[in-house]
Order: sequence, then C-alpha cells, then structure tokens
Amino acid sequence: MLGNLIQQTVNALTIGSIYALIALGYTMVYGVLRMINFAHGEMFMLGAYVAFLVLSMLVGDVGMAGAIALTVAFLVAIFLVGFIGVGIERVAYKPLRNSTRLAPMLSSLGVSLSLVTGIQILAGPQPVAFPSFFPVVRYEVMGGTITSMQIGILVAAFVLMFGLYFLVNRSRIGIIVRAVSESRPTAQLLGINVNGAISMVFFVGPLLGAAGGILYASYYGIMSPSMGAVIGLKAFTAAILGGIGSIPGAMLGAFILAFVEVGGTALLPIVTHGVLGTEYRDVLTFAILILVLLVRPAGILGEAVSEESIVYKREF
Amino acid sequence: MSVAETLAAVRPRSSRAVAFLVFAIAIALIAATPFLPNYYIRVIDSLLIYILLGIGLNIVIGYTGLLDLGFVAFYAVGAYSYALLASPQLDLHLPFLLILLVAACLGAITGILLGIPVLRLRGDYLAIVTLGFGEIVRIIINNLDWLTGGPKGIARLDKASILGIQIARPVDFFWLLLVVVLLAGLVAWRLERSILGKAWAAIREDQDAARGIGINTTNAKLAAFATSATIGSIAGAIFGASQRFVSPESFTLQESVLIVLMIVVGGIGNILGIVAGAAILILLPEVLREFAEWRILFLGLLMIFLIIVRPAGIVPRSFGPDKLIRRLIGK
Amino acid sequence: MTLVFDRLRKEYGQVVAIDDVTASFAPGLIHGVIGPNGAGKSTLINMTAGSYTVSSGSIVLDGKRLDRLKKYQIANSGVARTYQNIRLFDQMTTLENLEVCFYPTDVGGTWKEVLWPPYASSRRDRRREKCMEILRFFDLQGHADAEAGSLPYGRQRMLEIARALVCNPRVLLLDEPAAGLNHHETAELTARLAAQRSPDRITIIVEHDMDLVMALCDNIIVMHHGKLLFQGTPAEVQASTDVQLAYLGTANDIDDIRAAAQDRRAQLGIRTRRRS
Ligand SMILES: Nc1ncnc2c1ncn2[C@@H]1O[C@H](COP(=O)(O)OP(=O)(O)OP(=O)(O)O)[C@@H](O)[C@H]1O
Ligand SMILES: [Mg+2]
Repeated sequence: MLGNLIQQTVNALTIGSIYALIALGYTMVYGVLRMINFAHGEMFMLGAYVAFLVLSMLVGDVGMAGAIALTVAFLVAIFLVGFIGVGIERVAYKPLRNSTRLAPMLSSLGVSLSLVTGIQILAGPQPVAFPSFFPVVRYEVMGGTITSMQIGILVAAFVLMFGLYFLVNRSRIGIIVRAVSESRPTAQLLGINVNGAISMVFFVGPLLGAAGGILYASYYGIMSPSMGAVIGLKAFTAAILGGIGSIPGAMLGAFILAFVEVGGTALLPIVTHGVLGTEYRDVLTFAILILVLLVRPAGILGEAVSEESIVYKREF
Repeated sequence: MSVAETLAAVRPRSSRAVAFLVFAIAIALIAATPFLPNYYIRVIDSLLIYILLGIGLNIVIGYTGLLDLGFVAFYAVGAYSYALLASPQLDLHLPFLLILLVAACLGAITGILLGIPVLRLRGDYLAIVTLGFGEIVRIIINNLDWLTGGPKGIARLDKASILGIQIARPVDFFWLLLVVVLLAGLVAWRLERSILGKAWAAIREDQDAARGIGINTTNAKLAAFATSATIGSIAGAIFGASQRFVSPESFTLQESVLIVLMIVVGGIGNILGIVAGAAILILLPEVLREFAEWRILFLGLLMIFLIIVRPAGIVPRSFGPDKLIRRLIGK
Repeated sequence: MTLVFDRLRKEYGQVVAIDDVTASFAPGLIHGVIGPNGAGKSTLINMTAGSYTVSSGSIVLDGKRLDRLKKYQIANSGVARTYQNIRLFDQMTTLENLEVCFYPTDVGGTWKEVLWPPYASSRRDRRREKCMEILRFFDLQGHADAEAGSLPYGRQRMLEIARALVCNPRVLLLDEPAAGLNHHETAELTARLAAQRSPDRITIIVEHDMDLVMALCDNIIVMHHGKLLFQGTPAEVQASTDVQLAYLGTANDIDDIRAAAQDRRAQLGIRTRRRS
C-alpha cells in the first residue's frame, strides 16, 4: 500500500513536471499578449521530432546513441524550437497585435494545424519509437518501483523551472518581460523594447515546451505528430487552474492536475464501483476545470480580471 | 473624365454583373445536381451539411465574437438523437420530423446548459472550455457502449421519411438539405439584422460598453449559443439520417477546428463567405485527391495568410445576401 | 427625484480612492465634478454606472439602491454614461451604435422581427427615426453609415454622448467629454450640453476644462484625494481659496487652474484604434 502510494506520487510528480514545462509557455504568452496560443502544444511535439532528427544525424542508429549525443540533441532541439517559436510569432502573430482579440488566436489555430499536418507529411502520421534519454534502472523504494528515468525527468524539469524563475525574477530581461505584461502601453512609453520582450517570451516558452516534449516522448518511448493536442489542452487547463498569467500558478496547477489525474485513474473505478472506468480520466480533468472556473474564475493564484481592472488599465 | 469618375461609373454595373453571375452559377448548380452521378451528389450533400454547420457556428464566432471550439458536440447530439430514436439500438423508430424537433430541442438545451456556467466568464476561457466540452462529449460517446455502441457506433439506422415520402437517395437529401440550409441561412441573416443581432455585434466589439447601454450580455450570449447549438444539432440529425450510421469518429476536435477554419477562410460573419469556405474545404480534397493531407496544411496556411492580409476572408462583407440581392434588382 | 451618494467609499487595498462622500444631485441641473488628477472623479462615475463595485455606503436614485444592481440593470434604470477613454462599438456604423441602445426595450420582439419582416421594418424605422433625431442634434447625420471607429476623434466624442442620450436617460454621466477636443469643438459641445438640459434629467459632468464647467454647471463639486472638498455655485468655487490650494498647492486665481487643466488636456486626445 505504502509502496503503491510512493510509486503513484512519483508518477504524478513526473507527469506534473512535464505539464508544468508546457503550462509555463501558455501562461507567459497570455501574460504578455493576452492571447491563447493554440500552437503551443505543437512546440511540445516539435521538440520530440527535432531531437529525434538531430540524434539521427549525429548517430546513425538513434537507439544506440551515447550520453554526449543525447545531451547535444536535447540542447540543440530545445534551442531550435525556441527560435522556431520566435519566428512563428514574427510571422503569424506580430502583424495582428492591434487587431481584434480573436485574430491572433485564430492565427495560432492555423499555425497549429499547419505544423501537425506538416510533420505528418514529412515524417508520416504513424507514431515513432523514441529513444530513452536516461538509462533505465529500477529502484525499489518501500515496495514501490521508481525508475531512474523518472528521477532524470524530475531533475531536468526542475533545473529548467528554476532557470526560468531566476530569469524572470532576478534578471533585467525578466523585469522587462514583467513590465510588458503589466501594461504594454506604459512599457512602450517608458522606452522598453516591447518587441524584444515578446520575442523573449516566444523563445523561452517553446524552449520549455520542447524540453517537455522530449522528456515526455522518452518517458513513454513514443512520439506522434498529434501528441501535442491533448497534452497541450491539459497543460492549458493546468495554467488556468493555477491562474493564467501567473508563473508559480502554472507550476502549481500542473502538479495539482497531475495528482488529480493519477489519483482519479486509480480511484475512479473503485469509488464508482466500476461504473466509470479509467477512460473517464480526461472527463474528470475538464470537469475540474469547469468547477474551478465557476468558483474562482481567476484560478488559484491568478489576479482577478474584472471590468474594474480593465477600465483602470485603459485610463492610465 | 477622371479615373475616379470612370471607375465610379463602371463599378455599379460590373458589381451587378458579379451578383448576377453568382446567382446564375448557384441556380445552374442546383438545377444540374439531380443529374449528376450519385457520388457527386453525395459530395454536394456533405458540402451542404458543412454550410449548415458553418451557419450555426458563425452565429457564435462571427456575430458574437466568441470562439467556440467544441461545436462538434452539438453536431454529435443531433446525430446520436437520430441514431438512438430511429434504429434497432433501443428499438425505437420515431418519425424523422419528430426526431428533428427533438434534436433541435436537445441541441438548444445542451447549448444552454453549457452556456450558463461558461458564458459568465471572460471570453478567453470560452475557447478552452468549449474545446474541453467537445472532448468530454466524444469520450462519453466512446465509452457509453450500452447506449451509443462505443467506438463501433450505431449502424442500420432507419430510412428517413417525411409525410410518407421516403428520403433515402442522395438526391432526396440534396433537396432536404437545400431547404434546411436556405431556411437556416434566412433565419441567421434576419437574426443578425434584428435588435438581438445588433446586441451581439456590440458584445463582440466591447462587452463592458454593451453592458453599459443596458444589454444583459449573459442572456444575449446564451441566445447566440442556443441558436447555434440548435442549428448544429439539426445538421447532425440530418447527417445521421443520410449516413444511416454514426460513430464517434465523425466528431473529433479536428472537425470543430475545420469548421472554424472554413468560416474564417470564407469570410467571418458573412453567410456567403461560409458557402465559399465550405466549398474550398469540401471540394479541395476532391480535386487534389492524392494530396489529401496537403489540403489541411494548405488550409491552415491560407487561414494565417488571410487573417493577416485580408481579415474579412475571401468573400468581402459587401457581398452579404442583402447587398447581393439589392445589386441584382438594381438598387 | 434625485440621485444621492450616502457616505460612499471606495478602497483599493490600502488606497482610499473615495472617502465617505455624501452628496445629492437634483434633476434639471447640470452638476460639475472637478478636481486634480487622481482625485477620484472617474471612480465616482464608474461606481454610479456600476462599472466599479462600491466598498461601502450607498447610491440611491429615487429611493432605489443602485449599488446593489448589475451594470446592465443600472443602465436600464435610466443611467447612461460616457467613458474617459472613448468606448464605441468601432466596427458598427454610427447609426447602429445608437440603434443597439434600444435593445432593452425591443429584445422581446426579436423572434417576431425574424419571422415577420413587416414588423421588423416598422420597428427598425421607429428606432432609426429616434436615432437620426439625435444624430442631427449632434450634427452627425452625414456620418450615419460610416463605421464608428473611422470617425475623426472629435466626432467619436460626440457620438459617444449621442449614444448616452439616445434613450433619454434620467441620469447622464459624462467623464471628461471635452478631453482632446479643440476650441471650436469644445464650444460646440458646450452649446449642445446646454441644449440637452431637461427638467427631469440629472447631468453630471467630470471635466478639467474650467471654461466649460463654469459656463455650463449650476452646481460644482470639488474632489480632492477622494474627499468632497467643496460644493457650490461656479462663482463660489472661483472664490474659494481651498480649491486653489487643492489644484496648485498655493493660493492663486482661477486662470492658473485653467492653465494647469489645459496641460492635462493636451495629454489626452490620443486614442489607439483597433483594426479588424
Ligand atoms: N481599478 C483601480 N485599481 C487601483 N486603483 C485605482 C483603480 N481605479 C482608480 N484607482 C486609483 O484611485 C484614485 C482615483 O482615480 P480616478 O480615476 O477616480 O481619478 P480621476 O479623478 O478621474 O483622475 P483623472 O483626472 O486623472 O481622470 C487614483 O489614485 C487611482 O490610482
Ligand atoms: Mg478620470
């Protein structure tokens, strides 16, 4: 029992940290541009595909890649996807900055669709086996099994998240990004490089998302062109849950969601006497989302957006 | 005579010619359809169903400015209404018109039930919650085997008939769909011009200011949601009757996105734009059959391009049905 | 028939934006609200119109508590407003911007409008007639079919006031209607506001333009740091040293206040426009 509990906890932490990496991208983009970037889930997918490509260019057979090749592939892939993110923003969102709020969202929907089909055409629609980025060793901890892969994922995710934390809270770039998300017009008037800040967000967000994608694909040993859709949705749910626009909120939301999912999967059939099986896990996720929005529309750590704050920002 | 004057003199006549051309082509197409091989009539039927879906979704996206990404859920409600009420599944065999009515009501009710919690929220979350709702409906259909047949779906649906006249061949559905599309288009168009339609536009432009002039925005949005859901559900029921088979595969997220795409590409908020968008969406794969996957790539890129370069879509707003008719009759 | 603020209060965390303001506004008069930047003038308007919540105290119109109603219900009780930063329905035409104001009275007939065209057109004609009347009053009839967002800035200000007036409100709240207007337009506005005066309408104008306020208002409220500093006729306000101190920090005369207000006006008048 205890072993099972530990194992499930580690499972939830692993999945949660991957959700968190993706949720951060949604939340940062929303913070600066007040836009839902539907193409963000595809950054996750691109991460896995680019890493695979780099790996197969480095070593012929990806299954036999060594530690150095894997590290290089990981880094090259996340930075590359970061630059792709910046490029996408320049081409597809920037021209729409003064447009209606719907326009950039629709544009991102177009980007998402194009990327998925683009990869489908290039790499084929079928799932592809993905090499493990960590040596798989199993540890028995009080009756539960934990793999070195899980530990590796947790460590990698936490290193990235702490990196982000320092970037946002301790660096000049972070101050600029926060100023822009507080009020774009004011930041502009103060001579802050708003475009630079937005590019930064569209670099860091996809970078983290890509890292999440690689970790995810290596955790499950598989990648597919459509893998971004459902995960993206979940990560977005996590971002809303935590309070969209809030960086700690995104992480918190991601872990809550992961625990609910893992717990739900384990308990749902027991609690409902088998009426609702594990296939209802996603239903549970969305039901929670709707509930949270009803009770606390701003999410757990988000600032309440009311007409008051909107009028205020418009008038000053 | 200056260039501007020349242009001004030529323009009304040429745009009248365009209007005339559009009508002539439409009439010719309609008249020719019954003589086409069944395969092509089926393609045209599915074109009409997409137009119907577009008309429904456009009320929410185009008129009211709310992004609904779960529209396909209402389509599924309609399709499964028909499948359950006219098949051996529950051994119910209700008449088609009655089911159409039931589907319309169920659609409206689902729309309102989803809308009540969601429409109070600020606009951004709506996209994601509706998207989640669409997925929930699909998952439930997929797993409620005893009722919906699960992933296998429900087969052997009854043949539809209206007042004793059987609706079974593709060409029957063509006429039925044509009538329904025209009716739905008319209702949507008149709604847009009604006071409610003006309120929808006001909400789209500035929700807070709309409240400030006394509009109960929640109710107005609910009305939009319910109307759109009703149309989607009716489309679903007819779809079920024409396929005589339903399965969850027809109601994926991608389907919702494609309908949004179709509206945006054709011309958001514009009924004739929807026709153009649906035509591109449905006819393109027929033309480029070997390049089936390229179609969606093409559409996705086209959508980005159009939003940036030509946000009004392919068909300009000045080609709304009223303007078209006015041009045709010369005023 | 009066509008009454009773110990009205608004707090943002530690900041007290409105500090126990008690005042009453009689119909038939034009009330001016003046005060330095950040005095809480807009907050008063926003609370009355229901855009902001009230922290404590009450707003009562004819014995009915407004502060417990939702924003649209307040509007339907006859309170109309303009915004400090213009908020029009940009992609609708000038005429439609006014027409949509008849939603609360006409929405019940929507289905009849949809199903029975003659009814729809008679309704629409009735609405449009009223709208055109107001448009003519504001000399906007030539722009009736233009998109509101494409109008020149001064016309947009006028249109926003027209939108507030079209349903003949009992309370008209104007937040800096002259901001960003040139001399000529301000004079035009002053004349129109004087002309819309009616025995049972309460007009409240927040404004930095002292000429307009002095020329138009019967009664002036001076706000300072969220408190009601002074209340009286234009002549009394001009004579008050308290008011001069509030604006300038030193006792000086009204011309300097005017100059200070002018500075502030120059900052406004920039409005970003949304494209479609
Ligand atoms: N939504 C809000 N959140 C926080 N503080 C606010 C908000 N709205 C107003 N305030 C504060 O309340 C005070 C009064 O603001 P208000 O807008 O009423 O001033 P005002 O008199 O209209 O000034 P101005 O002449 O510049 O328009 C200011 O200090 C302002 O910073
Ligand atoms: Mg103000």
